[in-house]
Amino acid sequence: MNALRSAVIIVALGLSSAAFSEQGPMTSPAEGAKEAGLVTITSPAEGAKVGLSGIKVAFEVTQAPKGDHVHVFVDGEQVAELRQLKASYTVDKLTAGRHWVCFRVVDKGHTPVGAEKCVTLNAGNVPPMVYESNKPESKKP
Amino acid sequence: MNTQDLAYALTQVVHNFGAVAVTAGAAGGRWTQAATEPKRQRRLQWLVLGGWVAQILSGATFGGISYASFGQFPEIHGIAVAALRLKITCAVAGVSVSTLLLARARAWNETQRSHAWSALLGFAAIALCAAAFLRWFS
Repeated sequence: MNALRSAVIIVALGLSSAAFSEQGPMTSPAEGAKEAGLVTITSPAEGAKVGLSGIKVAFEVTQAPKGDHVHVFVDGEQVAELRQLKASYTVDKLTAGRHWVCFRVVDKGHTPVGAEKCVTLNAGNVPPMVYESNKPESKKP
Repeated sequence: MNTQDLAYALTQVVHNFGAVAVTAGAAGGRWTQAATEPKRQRRLQWLVLGGWVAQILSGATFGGISYASFGQFPEIHGIAVAALRLKITCAVAGVSVSTLLLARARAWNETQRSHAWSALLGFAAIALCAAAFLRWFS
């Protein structure tokens, strides 16, 4: 019976944790927004013209107490996970045209905390119509 | 103390004990069944079933805490997603086989019971390995 009792206790613990998580958001929306934090992309500037390889994008996360690390996206695809809140990511290769590099702050369990920043990069020496042919809405994460 | 961290930690406690129950319970059942009386075997069967149920509930609770805190589920990709799918498959299989074992063990012979315990041990081992990949590839 001891084993049965142990099993019941384990299940009860699981249920109580599940019930705990169903109590609703642990912070109010206003608190959540304040706690989400701020991501700043220090370089390059929004819409900057860049080369086709070795593009270094620097960022800094501030006021994000729940943020643990950063997920990096290029054109909506996650390409890296950075364990620093102030660092840079080097994009190896880009095709000519418009691209988006985004930094999303996540908690220890990889859940986005609500702080994110993207920068648009114009890669290569291409005429403006090439930039326009890319659709920004569908490419941002 | 951060409420989320506390919630994650408590859930992890349940998840870890669940892992111990499914692994040790199945190993005990597999290698001691010939020498163990049916009543004790049954306790082990309940322990393993309880362990798998705890694994499923606590695993879902991890996602629940994330959703309750930020309105989003954890962001995992590639190998981590495959590892999570494997863990879920093992958990479902573990619940199914341990339920079957509880319901049918008396009608089965020793070889059949031994196969069931081996399968349960295999699911537990695979789930443990997948958990490591889920942890470090997410």
